[in-house]
Amino acid sequence: MTEEHHATHPQPAQYVKIAVVLATLTAVEVGLYYLNNSLSLGWINTALLLILAALKFLIVIGWYMHLRFEKRTLSRFFGFGFVLALTLYAVVLVGFGVLALNR
Amino acid sequence: MTTAAERAATIFRRPAPEKGIWSWITTVDHKRIGVMYGYSAFIFFIIGGLEALLLRIHLSQAESNFLTAAEYNGLFTTHGVTMVFLVIMPMGAAFMNYLLPLMIGARDVAFPRLNALSYWIFLFGGLFLYSGILFSGMAAPIGVEGVSGNLDPSDITRLGALPDGGWFFYQPNASRDFSPGTAVDFAALGLQILGIASLISAVNFIVTIFNLRAKGMRLLRMPVFIWMSLVVAFLLLFSLPIIAIALFMVTFDRQFGTLFFDATGGGDPILWQHLFWLFGHPEVYILILPAMGIVSEILPVFSRKPLFGYAAVVFAGAGIGFLGFGVWAHHMFASGITPAAQAGFGIATMTIAVPTGVKIFNWLGTMWLGRIRLAPPMLFAIGFLAMFTIGGLSGVTHSIVPSDWQQTDTYYIVGHFHYVLFGGAIFGIFGGLYYWFPKFAGRMLNERLGKIHFWLWFIGFNMTFAPMHWLGFQGMIRRTWRYHPSLEFWNQIVSIGAFIIALGLVVFIFNWVRSRRHGPIAGMDPWDARTLEWSIPNPTPVHNFSTVPTVHGLDEFWHRKYGEDDEGRPVRKDDADSYVARLGEEGNDPAVPIHLPNPTYFPFLMAAGLPLIGYGIIFHTSAVGKALIAIGVLLSLSALMGWATEPLEEGHHGPVEAH
Amino acid sequence: MSESTAPPEDEEVAHHDEHESTGVENRKLGMWVFLSSEFLFFGALITNYLLYFGREFEQGPTPSEIYDIPFTSVSSFVLLMSSLTMVLAHNALTRRDQGATRTWLLATAMLGSVFLAGQVFEFTEFIVEYDMTLSTNPAASSFYVLTGFHGTHVAIGVIMLLSLFGLSKRLGGLSERQHLNLELVGLYWHFVDIIWIVIFTVVYLLTATSGG
Repeated sequence: MTEEHHATHPQPAQYVKIAVVLATLTAVEVGLYYLNNSLSLGWINTALLLILAALKFLIVIGWYMHLRFEKRTLSRFFGFGFVLALTLYAVVLVGFGVLALNR
Repeated sequence: MTTAAERAATIFRRPAPEKGIWSWITTVDHKRIGVMYGYSAFIFFIIGGLEALLLRIHLSQAESNFLTAAEYNGLFTTHGVTMVFLVIMPMGAAFMNYLLPLMIGARDVAFPRLNALSYWIFLFGGLFLYSGILFSGMAAPIGVEGVSGNLDPSDITRLGALPDGGWFFYQPNASRDFSPGTAVDFAALGLQILGIASLISAVNFIVTIFNLRAKGMRLLRMPVFIWMSLVVAFLLLFSLPIIAIALFMVTFDRQFGTLFFDATGGGDPILWQHLFWLFGHPEVYILILPAMGIVSEILPVFSRKPLFGYAAVVFAGAGIGFLGFGVWAHHMFASGITPAAQAGFGIATMTIAVPTGVKIFNWLGTMWLGRIRLAPPMLFAIGFLAMFTIGGLSGVTHSIVPSDWQQTDTYYIVGHFHYVLFGGAIFGIFGGLYYWFPKFAGRMLNERLGKIHFWLWFIGFNMTFAPMHWLGFQGMIRRTWRYHPSLEFWNQIVSIGAFIIALGLVVFIFNWVRSRRHGPIAGMDPWDARTLEWSIPNPTPVHNFSTVPTVHGLDEFWHRKYGEDDEGRPVRKDDADSYVARLGEEGNDPAVPIHLPNPTYFPFLMAAGLPLIGYGIIFHTSAVGKALIAIGVLLSLSALMGWATEPLEEGHHGPVEAH
Repeated sequence: MSESTAPPEDEEVAHHDEHESTGVENRKLGMWVFLSSEFLFFGALITNYLLYFGREFEQGPTPSEIYDIPFTSVSSFVLLMSSLTMVLAHNALTRRDQGATRTWLLATAMLGSVFLAGQVFEFTEFIVEYDMTLSTNPAASSFYVLTGFHGTHVAIGVIMLLSLFGLSKRLGGLSERQHLNLELVGLYWHFVDIIWIVIFTVVYLLTATSGG
C-alpha cells in the first residue's frame, strides 16, 4: 500500500530540511526561555512558547507522521482524542484553580 | 503465502487443533472467544450474586453479627467490583465479540489474535484480582509501622482480606495507612490488567466496524447494536487511559511512597475522585449501551415493525456517549467542589436525559401498533424499558444538586444504580441470551421456563430494589454494617426479594443446560428476524458467511424476505421460504475454500505474563517478587516476539464441519 | 468440498481480511486509534504535574527549582533528531534499500538510548545532588512518574526498533508485509517525540524557576 504513496512522500532532503526547522524552533524556545529570565515577559512568554511548541507538534505530525497526506479519517480520530484530552483536563485544572484567575 | 525466510523465522510450528481444550486455548475465532467471555462472566455473576446474598442475609437484621464489619466491607466492595468489571463488561464483550462480524457481514474481527489476547488478559486479570484473598495479611505495604485511624490490623480476617474501600477506592481510605495489607493492591493491579484487555478490544472493534463491513453496508445501514458497540469502543478507548493513570498513582502511593493523594505530604485526595470519575462516568455508559443495542434489535423483531426512528436512536446513543464525558463531577457534588462546578455539572447531567428520552420514546414507538410476540427475549426487553426508565428518572433527581446532597451515600443511590444496571443492563443482556441462544447453540431455550424466569426476576428485582429508594430517604446510609432498627422491616423485604432473584437464576441455568442438549432444533431464522446474522445457519458455521452478502439498505435480510403492501405493512414474498432454505444449504457448504486465521498460543502466553508482573509488584520488596517481575516481563515479551514472527497462514482451509 | 493441503492457484480463494472500507489498512488505522488514546494517558500525567508544581510543600525541592535547562535542551534535540532518522529509515525501505534502512533504524535506536541515558543521568542528579525522590513531595512524584512513563515508552520503542533491525539482519531484509510494521513503529516513535515536545515546553520551560 505504501507504494501508492510513493509519489507524495517527501524526499530525504526534505526531511532534513524539516529537521532543521524543528531544531531552529527548539533553539528559539530555549532562547526565549533565557530572555524571559532577564525580562520577565509574563503571559507573552507563555503564549509564545506554547505557539512554538504547537508548531513543532504539528510539523512532526503532519510531515513525519505523514498525516497531511493521509485519509482524513485518521486526522479525525487523532484530533478527536487530542481535543477531548485538552478539554477534559482543562476543566479539571480550572476546577482545581490552576488555570483559573487566582494563580 | 509465507516465504521460506519467514517460515525459518518461526521458532515453533503453528498449532491447528480443532477439538478439546487446546482448541479453546489457541482459538482466534471470534465466536469461541465470545463464548468464553460469556461463560466466564456468567460464573463471576454467580459469585457476585452469592456475595450479594451474604450481604442481604446480614442486612436482614439491623444489628446482625452474621458478618464482621471487615467482612461486610470486603463483600460489598468485591460485589461491586465483580459485577461491574467481571460481569457486565465481559458480558457486553461476549455479545460484541460473537455478533460484530456476523452483523456486518465479516468473517472475523480485524485482529483475531489480539482478540484472543483480550480474552486471556481478562480471565487472568479476574483470577489475579480474586487470588488476593489467599494473601491476607501478608507483606503489608512497605513503610507501615503502625496503623493510623481506628482499623485494627488483626481485623484482617480471611474474608476481610478482600479489598474493602468501596468499588471506587476513595482516598485516603484506600491508602496504605487506612487499608494496610495487600487487598487494595490486588484490586488496583487487577483492574489495571483488566483495563488493558478492554483497551485492546476497543481498538479491535473500532477498526473492525470501520474497515470490515460488507459491500454496501454504509455506517447508517448498520444494526443499532453495532452502533452502540462502536460508541462503547470509543468510550473505552478514551476513558481507560485515565483510570490506568489513576490506578498507577494509587499503586505507587501504596508501594513506592509517592505522595499523589497523601494530604499529610501535600497531596490531594480529591484528585483521585476527579481521575476516577473521569473514567467512572463513561464507564456506566459502557455498561448500559450494549444492552440498549440488544434491546434495539429485539423490539423490532418481536413487534414485527422496524425500529422507530433508526437515525435518532443512533445519534442519541452517540450523544449519550459523548455527553457522558462531561458529567463526571456529578459524583462529587458532596465532595466540596465549587458552586460553579456544581451548577455546571448539574446542568450537563440534566442534558443527558434528552437523548436518553429520545431512545425510550423511539423504543415505545417501535412497539406501538406492532404485532407483539411476548416470547422471553421480548419480556426482558420490555422489562428493560420499564426498569431502565425508572432508574433513569431517579438519576435525573440526582442531577438537581441540593436534592443530591440528601441522596448521596444513602440507599436511594443504591436503588438508582441497581435499577439501571440490573433492571437495565442485566435484563437487556438476558434478553439477548434468550434471543441469540439459537445462533450459538442451534437449539431453542424452553419458552415456559423462560417466562417463569422473567416473572421471578421481575417480582424479585422490584421487591429488592424499590424499597431502597424510601429506605434512603428514611436515612439508611450506604455501606453500613448496621442500621437503625426502625428500617428493619423493609430491609427484610429487600432480602427476600434477593432470594427470589436467585431462584430465577437457578431456573435459567437449568433451562440453559437442558436446552443445550435437548432443546428443539432451531433451524434457519427461528425468530423471523431482520439482521444479517440470521441469514446463516444455526449454530453459526465456523466461517460465518459462505458468500459475503452485498447490502442495499437497513435490515437487508428482512427486505429479502418481505415486501410491503400499500399501507406499508410487511408482506412475505412468495420465494422467502425457499430463499431462506437455500441460504441454509449454502451456508454450511461454501462453494470456494475459505482461509481462516490459524490458531495460536502466543496470546495465551503473553497474557499469562501479566499476573506474574502483578504479583511481583505487590511483593517487590522480596527477591521472589523481583524475580516474578522479570519472569513476567520476559514471558510476555517472548510471546510477543513469537507472535510477531509466526507465519500468517499455513493453509488452514475451510470449510470445517460446524461444531 | 474436499479439503486440500495446497492452496488452489487459479480458483477464487476467499480470505479473511479482503478489503478496507475506509481505505486505510487495518493495522495502520489501529495504530492511529491507539495513539489517540495515549493523549488521555499523558494528559492525565501532565495535569497531575501542573496541579502540583507550584504549590508550597514542607519538603523540597520541587522539580521546577532544580531543572537543568541546557542539559534537557540537548536531550530534547537528540530525541527530535531521532524522528528524522526514523523517517529516513522508512524512506529507505520504500526505496528497497535494506542496508540503509538498517543503518537508520540503528541510528534511531541509538539516539533514543542516548535520550534515555540522559534521563537516567538527570534522575540520578536530582536524587543524589538535590535529594529529590519520589516521596519528597507531590510535585516530585508527578515529575518522576510523568517522565518515567515517557521514558518507558521510549524504551519500548527502542526494543521495537532493535527487533526490526534484528529481523532485517537475520532475514536479509524486511519483507513487503514488514513495510507496514516499520511504518507503524515509526508512527509510535514520532508520537513519543511529540509528547516530549509538549513536556519540554510545558513542564520544563514554562515551570522552571531555576533560572537555568
